[in-house]
Amino acid sequence: MEISRDAYRAIEDIVGAENISDDPAFLDSYAFQWLAELVRPENSHYMPRPWAVVLPATTEEVQAIHRVCNKYGIKIKPISTGWYHWAAPMKDNEPTIQIDLRRMDKIISIDEKNMVAVVEPYVTCAQLQAEVMKLGLNINIIGAGCSTSIVASASTYFGAGPSSYYMGNNSDNLLGQEWVTPAGDVVLTGSLSSDCGWFCGEGPGPSLRGVTRGNMGSRGGLGTYTKCAIKLAPWHGAAVLEPQGPPPAYRLPIPENTRVYTIGVPSWDAFAETYLNIYDNEIGYIFHRQFNLAGADLAPALWLTYLRPDGTMNDVETASKDPEMQKLADEGRISFQIILQGRSVDEVKLQDKILDAIMAKTGAYKVGRFCEQDFAEFTHMYLQRLGHKHCNFIWVGGYMGSWMQAGIPDFVKNYSPVAIDGFYRDQKQSDGLVQCGGDALMGCGSSISGGGYFGFEQFVSYDPNDKASVQACVKHMYDAIDDCKANGIPLGKEYIYLMIGWPDEQIWNDFSKAPQTFVLHFQRKIKEHFDPRELGDRNYPWLPKGMGQPNFITQS
Amino acid sequence: MALEDFRADAMRCTRCAYCKWIPFDHVKSWKYAKGCPSIEAGKFHSYSAGGRLVTALSLMDGRSTVTPAVEDSVFKCTMCGLCDVSCKLCRYDMEPLAAMSELRATLVEDGHVPAQVEPILKSLRTEFNMLQKPRAERGNWAKELGLKDLSKEQAEVVFHAGCRYSFDGDLGHVAKASVKILKQAGLDFGIMGENESCCGGRAHTMGHRKDMHTRATHNLTAWKKAGVKTIVTPCSDCYHAFKRLYASTEGSEIQVLHMVEIVDQLLKDGKLKLTKAVNKKVTYHDPCHLGRQGEPFVAWNGVEKKIFGQAVAYEPARPRYNGAFGIYEAPRNILKAIPGLQFVEMERIKESAWCCGSGGGCKETYPDFALSTANQRLDEAQSTGADAIVSACPWCERNFLDANQEGASKLEVLDIIALVEQAL
Repeated sequence: MEISRDAYRAIEDIVGAENISDDPAFLDSYAFQWLAELVRPENSHYMPRPWAVVLPATTEEVQAIHRVCNKYGIKIKPISTGWYHWAAPMKDNEPTIQIDLRRMDKIISIDEKNMVAVVEPYVTCAQLQAEVMKLGLNINIIGAGCSTSIVASASTYFGAGPSSYYMGNNSDNLLGQEWVTPAGDVVLTGSLSSDCGWFCGEGPGPSLRGVTRGNMGSRGGLGTYTKCAIKLAPWHGAAVLEPQGPPPAYRLPIPENTRVYTIGVPSWDAFAETYLNIYDNEIGYIFHRQFNLAGADLAPALWLTYLRPDGTMNDVETASKDPEMQKLADEGRISFQIILQGRSVDEVKLQDKILDAIMAKTGAYKVGRFCEQDFAEFTHMYLQRLGHKHCNFIWVGGYMGSWMQAGIPDFVKNYSPVAIDGFYRDQKQSDGLVQCGGDALMGCGSSISGGGYFGFEQFVSYDPNDKASVQACVKHMYDAIDDCKANGIPLGKEYIYLMIGWPDEQIWNDFSKAPQTFVLHFQRKIKEHFDPRELGDRNYPWLPKGMGQPNFITQS
Repeated sequence: MALEDFRADAMRCTRCAYCKWIPFDHVKSWKYAKGCPSIEAGKFHSYSAGGRLVTALSLMDGRSTVTPAVEDSVFKCTMCGLCDVSCKLCRYDMEPLAAMSELRATLVEDGHVPAQVEPILKSLRTEFNMLQKPRAERGNWAKELGLKDLSKEQAEVVFHAGCRYSFDGDLGHVAKASVKILKQAGLDFGIMGENESCCGGRAHTMGHRKDMHTRATHNLTAWKKAGVKTIVTPCSDCYHAFKRLYASTEGSEIQVLHMVEIVDQLLKDGKLKLTKAVNKKVTYHDPCHLGRQGEPFVAWNGVEKKIFGQAVAYEPARPRYNGAFGIYEAPRNILKAIPGLQFVEMERIKESAWCCGSGGGCKETYPDFALSTANQRLDEAQSTGADAIVSACPWCERNFLDANQEGASKLEVLDIIALVEQAL
């Protein structure tokens, strides 16, 4: 949408001409986003094109940009390392400036003693992990992998990952924020605002955790986070990771104080029992169900081919027909990966004994081929760094995660078979989805810090270059919603994804039926305060006054 | 191929941004995690491989047109191929480097050629080199060396010095050192002298494919006439052109060897002995065209097919270029064999190496970008405590030498063959 050149020039004056663009091709590179084709008219791969894209270098520049946007009524959408359709502007008829934060890429400080790092938005998990490991520390890398921004995962989204089990969720590890509100104010949270440093997001000073993030985070819908402090965790491995071998399956040697296993179980009941025992005994550094993203039927064929630098998908096809591979698929059908790391060799030996005892009790077993040195070293590399997370897209470039509800192990063991049956049914009804077996459930062993509560998402692979395949995926998303409703299960990730394509009224109508609508009214009041001109988008959810069940906030 | 052939790559790009970073498993620090010189300079997403795929899609669909900004984003790229390696860590259905090459060629065909390219192309077309030097001076480096002239004689091996070693006064000694080693090994070889022609590889990576075809035709005809079966070159740019581009576009089957492969084999066979100490601490820079793009060419003419419903495979299987089989060990074996030499590695090595900045025609068309990229590599080399940065490509060396003059680096810039000569 055309907008005043005065606004463009005002922003240009802030950042310099080389750091702002409204070239249509440049703007398309921001509009083109993963999952857009699932929600946009005609399955377009483009979200709405931003009005301009700008690259600020400092908090002051971000603040000045926000103020210009307030003056001219331009929507604000920050993006850091991220992707997802919600990283783009939401509506075609709303001029939106995309604030690309890639120039804000510094690690501000690492406080080794207090185990806190302060970073700007374009610092990736891989970069910070590499630096803190030199100090015997580590960070929780979110499930989306180490390419992601720490600020984004901690301030604006879930923040869970394979190591959350030991290191906590980034939503909880968030120890302070520097936040430029949509209105253009700079707000510092907790101890930071009292000049006491970055050690506590809750005080002394304003505690804004519940305002800026909640469970989901604002996903770029409530201004721009320009710095955050993140809690670090102990690391008992090498100061520098030294992967071995050729691409793609780099291998990380396993030191004496570490064990890497793929554990199989005979049933979902046994899975829950094994999980609970591991959790109760407080063993493990990383807990994840990783390789099943390829689907339980095909996982061994894919990953054992992946170990070869010259392996191709044709080799996967051949391998999948090998009876030995099918046997291995059955052996690992319900399985997970666990990494044990001890402060000493003796400690990991103890953890090993405990794990053996748990397995003997629950009927769990080590999946032999996946525990051999080559695959174990590959697993070690994969899960310590999470540098291969885009294998999520390995089949054909399109993946959508359905389900992903979290709960206690008994909840997971009950919903997993429903998710598996539904996915399998949809695969059989249409060849629009990759036929990998109904169980492509993947996820980390912790959706909240410390574990005990977790969930899996179905890895639904489709071809973004094939409209029929895209539409098969959309159908599966609606089917998954129906499956949830039919089985009394809360709606999952597919619902959150689909919502991006819906009109406000449809979303509000759904929200108004939520069990706790007061949360959404509370968020409306937050928005009214910090975003009076509504320049953030609806990724920060709220309900208009008067909608939903009456309660004290609705009335106020 | 045509740009439309890469539509599927564009549609299947997930905008994951792996193309901007070295393979994440190899990240050892904040500073040296970055992998793409182009986006470091251009900053907008369009300066990455993923961004260029969207640009291609946007142009094909008529959503945008070629503007000066688009031209800049397409051509200000060293075509180093790091993005290709990082993308293929997780993907079997993407060819980002090939797609970017096609986008360049398409723009060139449509007349979008940066103005600064014109004199370089003129030199290539008339003087058979891109350095704007007289063709007649090409063989000067070999005068009085008594080498067989294959424009008049026959030999199965041709030594191809390449433009940079032939004309660059600071680097000409490498060509001489190379032939000295070949002579010492008793190899029967010759040179084309002033009839040697540019390989055309740089023209190809700049999008001027017809110019490479002309050079390739010239070279292949001359070699055939001379009975050549093997080409030996100390230049990684030429190596890549002969080994990969001539094979893929001209159907050439001539064996191509880089000097480091020859020296490595001679050392292994005991036909070459390095006896003199070279008391230096050095680090090695992997040239993109010898390393990740130096993999053997495998002919393929196939089509996409779907397996497991929607997964992408190819009929027949498509060869996979992911940097796994580049020439990495030969130069390292050589350095380790030099007495007195202390060899240390940088953080970004082999398939993860940071580009010198010279590739893709950037040395000629975007000299400031080329030098800033080189300076970042010199900074990384200095961080190892090395006295010198060693490479196996004159384009890398020239760019490092130029950056040294302007930047803060005090590193010596050395060619690996010159080092070998010192140790003989």
